[in-house]
Amino acid sequence: MTDPTTTSTPAPAAPAPAGSAAAGALEGEEPSTEALEQDWRTSDLPGLPGDAPFVDPGLAVVEGETLLHVTNLKKHFPVLGGLLKKRVATVYAVDGVDFDVRKGEIFSLVGESGCGKTTLGRTVLRLIEPTAGTIRFGSADVTKMKSAELRRLRSKMQIVFQDPFGSLNPRMPVSDIIGEGLIAQGLGDRKERDKRVGDALEAVGLRRDYTRRYPHEFSGGQRQRIGVARALALEPEFIVLDEPVSALDVSIQSQVLNLLLDLRKDFDLTYLFISHNLSVIEYVSDRVGVMYLGQIVELSSSEELYRSPRHPYTLALLSAIPDPDPRRRRRRLVLKGDVPSPVNPPAGCHFHTRCWLREQLGDPEQCVAQEPELREIGPGHRVKCHFAEQVSPTKAAEFASAHSPVEMAAADA
Amino acid sequence: MTAQGSVEEIAVTIAERPAGTPPDESILLDVRGLQTHFHVMDGTVRAVDGVNFSVPRGGTVGLVGESACGKSVTALTIMRLLDIPPAEIVGGEVWFDGTEILGLPEDEMRHLRGNDIAMIFQEPLTSLNPVFTVGDQIAEQVRLHMKVDKKEAIDRSIESLRLVGIPSPEQRIKQYPHEMSGGMRQRVMIAMALSCEPKLLIADEPTTALDVTIQAQILELLKSVQARTKSALMLITHDLGVVAEMVDEIVVMYAGQIVEQGTAEQVLTAPTDPYTMGLIESLPNVEKRGGRLSAIKGVVPSPFNLPPGCRFAPRCPYAWDACRTTSPELVPAGGPGQRARCLLHTPAGAARRAAMLDTAASGGATAGQGA
Repeated sequence: MTDPTTTSTPAPAAPAPAGSAAAGALEGEEPSTEALEQDWRTSDLPGLPGDAPFVDPGLAVVEGETLLHVTNLKKHFPVLGGLLKKRVATVYAVDGVDFDVRKGEIFSLVGESGCGKTTLGRTVLRLIEPTAGTIRFGSADVTKMKSAELRRLRSKMQIVFQDPFGSLNPRMPVSDIIGEGLIAQGLGDRKERDKRVGDALEAVGLRRDYTRRYPHEFSGGQRQRIGVARALALEPEFIVLDEPVSALDVSIQSQVLNLLLDLRKDFDLTYLFISHNLSVIEYVSDRVGVMYLGQIVELSSSEELYRSPRHPYTLALLSAIPDPDPRRRRRRLVLKGDVPSPVNPPAGCHFHTRCWLREQLGDPEQCVAQEPELREIGPGHRVKCHFAEQVSPTKAAEFASAHSPVEMAAADA
Repeated sequence: MTAQGSVEEIAVTIAERPAGTPPDESILLDVRGLQTHFHVMDGTVRAVDGVNFSVPRGGTVGLVGESACGKSVTALTIMRLLDIPPAEIVGGEVWFDGTEILGLPEDEMRHLRGNDIAMIFQEPLTSLNPVFTVGDQIAEQVRLHMKVDKKEAIDRSIESLRLVGIPSPEQRIKQYPHEMSGGMRQRVMIAMALSCEPKLLIADEPTTALDVTIQAQILELLKSVQARTKSALMLITHDLGVVAEMVDEIVVMYAGQIVEQGTAEQVLTAPTDPYTMGLIESLPNVEKRGGRLSAIKGVVPSPFNLPPGCRFAPRCPYAWDACRTTSPELVPAGGPGQRARCLLHTPAGAARRAAMLDTAASGGATAGQGA
């Protein structure tokens, strides 16, 4: 089922400027197929463009002052068992992660459930104590801080949780939910606090006089705004957004995303945005880290990642997004089996048990024997794969057409 | 309505038949004027309020909408799985395979359920019994409906697990639900649903609880099994991407009513109802990067206090005075067979619609900004 519009035009040599597709859409025309062709996702079967060697799509890698610097971060949870509650196994939830978040950017972590993205987000704030590694926030070493210092720092680093129902205390009025952090930080007298609570409510698009209400009086979208207001009241520099829109309906989700983007501009915020929703990530992020089994497997600018993914897992993830345009139904690259347990991650490359590229390359020994480095293969683009140079949409399409999705799904990983 | 003259154009899949007579032979499921209300402490919720649609034999239809639009209640009403009271089926008919099933005695309905109509739910963990092995659960269903002995029921269970792509099914049937991953459990649900070769499969958010790569596996599986067994599929989801991949026709619901219906391509690429337009425009994608998403302002109205006139009017960027007083009907709009519940597509709205299309053509096509 090859789409005739994509095969009839000859493949151009290099990708067109990124703006052209958007420009066409703005003028209310059909999106220009020429521009769309550059995107590997519109290609269906072999022989399509997108195989040009690594090209920086023109968007300069965002340079800036590093706000958060995470080095070799690990969080291992013990699994206790038996009568004496001895450690019988270890969950490698976060297993050696390095990344920087630059001032003013939205850095996103994307991955499936159990990949460790939420644990990582909380460990960065030391809401969970790391097992190893360092976290630097500005010039401060967060990992070495005593609790009093940490408390002071928390006013600069805040978090918004996923569940707008579970994360607000149902017995507290909004004024206490938002004001609690201010009290903990010893900020202001009652009057000053009320003012800041009111300001925070207004900033998230709620009315100042909602302070006496309780969480159950609000809809899901409004509760999530209260969660954002709570983070904002402390005037932080950095906010971890843990699945901030995942529990919301589409029409409300876009309202909250707009709000988050506006607040970033208005208050000079930096976000660590955690989500499993690849379309949301693509829309909001400057840079993205893709996680699999506790590790970052690919890290690059958002534009580059979505345009020319270089890790076989990233390619499979992107291929799995259902496209809301029925004219673009295409053959999917379906991964075999389930994600292995983080208690006992596969040796070598953690992804090798499900990797389509490895199968295509005839199961090279290296994938099992040696863990790949997260190595730089282009400016600001790092990939944890021995064979990243061989990843291409053509290879993926070849694989997809040679293996029926159901046969793949049935295979034991 | 004045627009009734073009009824002939309406595709055969849209119910326009008089009450009390069975639909055309080609129609497997025909839902007409369905009304389901819930009587609760605070009043009456009109969860499903006059819904008409049909599913052709072997066809695929998607019911789309946000939380509480009535899409799941529609399915549960068809399956007659609602607790009555608090629910009450106030009106309408559901014709399945030539029989009106809302009036069927419960024992006949029980025979139909599982045998001819099967349903897959969103959360496989709560729909499976935790104290029985999955093999027992599938075999139980097979024995109930197919009059076979225990041995053969087990063999059929193994076969149905193999059909849904579960590796080494002989071992898997001995496992309990908690020993399986979410994707595996959903496969077991699909295996159970398909074990009796139903004519209609109703899938209510079958992949919402699953990760994206597992969702891809399950969707591909549903597609291939549906193609092989020729059963019809009614898919309920809030995910426009999932319907786009899976179904030929789409029914969009808002506040208990159908607001738009047509082929998947019509509804998703050339929507005619402002709510559908708003939903599609609010999806984040790369072309909208750097700009604001065009959000639908406000929230879904309270079911106890529905606005007079059009239920979407308070959130609609195109609404005018008439929308706040007149309840619009579902009228032909857009392509052949496509219909929308919007005054813009009646003679009263013709002038506004023309003006709107003009602005859209000149590049100003932005729906309401975020609230």
